[in-house]
Amino acid sequence: MTDPILEVRNLSTHFFTDDGEVKAVRGVSFSVAPGETLGIVGESGCGKSVTAMSVLGLVQRPGKVVSGEIMFRGHDLLKLTREELRNIRGRDIAMIFQDPLSSLNPVLRVGYQIDEAMYAHDKIASNAVERRGIDLLKQVRVSDAERRIKDFPHQFSGGMRQRAMIAMGLSNKPDLLIADEPTTALDVTVQAQILELLRDLNEQTGAAIILITHNLGVVAGLCKRVLVMYAGEIVEEGTVEQIFESPQHPYTWSLLRSVPRIDANRGHRLLSIEGLPPDLIDLPQGCKFNPRCPFRVERCFTESPPIEQVAPAQHAACWVTMERAYAEMGAGTITDTSPGAASGVHPAGRSLPPAEVPAAIAEPVSD
Amino acid sequence: MPTRGTLIYIAQRLLLIVFTLLAVSFLVFITVHSLPGSAFESERVHGKALQLVLHQYGLDRPILVQYWSFLTSAIQGNLGVSFQIRGLPITPLVMRELSVSAELGGTALLITIGIGTTFGVLAAMRQNTWVDYTLTSIAVVGYSVPSFVLAGLGELIFAYWLPTVTNGAIQYPANWTGTYGTLVELSLPAIILGFYTSGQVTRITRAAMLEVLQQDYIRTARAKGLKTRVVTVRHALRNALIPVISILGPLVISIITGSVIIENIFGIPGLGKEFVESILGADYNVTVAVFTVYALLIGIANLIVDLLYTVVDPRIRY
Repeated sequence: MTDPILEVRNLSTHFFTDDGEVKAVRGVSFSVAPGETLGIVGESGCGKSVTAMSVLGLVQRPGKVVSGEIMFRGHDLLKLTREELRNIRGRDIAMIFQDPLSSLNPVLRVGYQIDEAMYAHDKIASNAVERRGIDLLKQVRVSDAERRIKDFPHQFSGGMRQRAMIAMGLSNKPDLLIADEPTTALDVTVQAQILELLRDLNEQTGAAIILITHNLGVVAGLCKRVLVMYAGEIVEEGTVEQIFESPQHPYTWSLLRSVPRIDANRGHRLLSIEGLPPDLIDLPQGCKFNPRCPFRVERCFTESPPIEQVAPAQHAACWVTMERAYAEMGAGTITDTSPGAASGVHPAGRSLPPAEVPAAIAEPVSD
Repeated sequence: MPTRGTLIYIAQRLLLIVFTLLAVSFLVFITVHSLPGSAFESERVHGKALQLVLHQYGLDRPILVQYWSFLTSAIQGNLGVSFQIRGLPITPLVMRELSVSAELGGTALLITIGIGTTFGVLAAMRQNTWVDYTLTSIAVVGYSVPSFVLAGLGELIFAYWLPTVTNGAIQYPANWTGTYGTLVELSLPAIILGFYTSGQVTRITRAAMLEVLQQDYIRTARAKGLKTRVVTVRHALRNALIPVISILGPLVISIITGSVIIENIFGIPGLGKEFVESILGADYNVTVAVFTVYALLIGIANLIVDLLYTVVDPRIRY
């Protein structure tokens, strides 16, 4: 195993708003190996983007990284001066963003915006920049690149804009490319092309990629390893096969069951995860998923589960884990996925008194 | 590199300006001629002598005939003669006064754009700090205190209390063309004239910058590792200038109307001073000439503003 290119340790980023402290990212740790493709998935607002922005020091006020270390090539990015960090941004770590229309400056030519990234750093000789700008646009498969490079963003289609963004990100041959929802604003055929492009680039240039998305299909198509985030924390981590075939955290499991499948029986309703993600200002006690979890036990309300190894290379932060949920609560056959439905555990004062809870867990609820 | 569409657009706008000038000159002509009193009232000419004078200036003819003869000679560049300084040709007079006013207004406009955008950008970059509060306070003073108050104050300070500092600079000879020692002489009136508009530009620039700085493409620019200065000027300010340009047309009009007041208070022999004097003296031809020149200036200023849009924002094409 090679040394990781990026290692994030115990990162917490909070936003200090008038309504209170929004704890957007709490104690996140992960690492990325050179050339690796890592996916970060989760619902909107789970902290995926803020994690990525924190890595590049792009979190704007009122947001602030409150603790943690972000080790890149042996240096803690959080301890660098602004100028040192600026030199890493776009040069060693590049980032591309979700909406390619709003992410390109409307009043500057596309070629200019690509070249500018190279002029800002010393990695590409300045007399080679213009040539490379055109080559990059060709590499990301924009046809007629020599002419299109002089266009303004509004003259590009959505897919072409995203390609231009990717060209911009690759311009300085970064070691790590962070792609924040790169396909979300695009239609499906273009999505597939962009993913294929990213996969090719990963193989050709050897750049590691962190792909941030809420779309599990996109992760399956590109990534080797996956992090699942919920309410600002990593709840599960594993290889893409492990995550898709044997998810251990109930959140990952629920997420997968809420994806529409072409081979599923059309009569079946899609299973949604009931409830909403917790308020990041006023988080629940214990496990943050407990208000929505069908398999919750009493302990989930009081103690926050640590992230622990559940299989080789797979980690999950759960007191129950799906292995136990399958064995003890009949997770394989349940149809009711409302909170506490499988375990029968409801917060004190609601339908079931706490005393009855152990019994309910002991016997599978359904079947 | 103007496209064919742009040239057609410019031609259309110029045609529109011609029509505007016709309408303005006609309306002003009719209006001033219907005002009570005449240029010769104070000269105590009566009866036959007055008839003779009126006939000499062609004022005894029907008004539409008078307008027509004004128009035909105006097209040839002859705006007629003054009644007050009998027989003085107006065209060279107005041209000289225009150069003085243009210098005053041009300096005020440069101050407006220079100070206004600088203050606006600085205030936005240091939002909610003492820098922001100081600059926005100056801007608020700028657009809430009337220019005649500031002009009076300026005269009091620099011409009365500190005449040695200005070395008597705030005195303009009647036939001054604004060609000597100009900037020193014009600086105080130009600053006062540009103060109101600078305040407006500061306000708009600050608001536009704050909005632009939240845009996704600014995040992209920062993620590329560009220097803060480059992000601010090249990426943010260029976009923030679009709303600034949209108020530039009204601001030019503010400067023109403001110059009438400032020129009269400071006694600058420009178009604005002539404007008031000609009305008071019922010097019809001069009034019509000055009005028409103002209309032309505003028309051209608005055309330039609209063309500036295409320079700053490539999405706009005519």
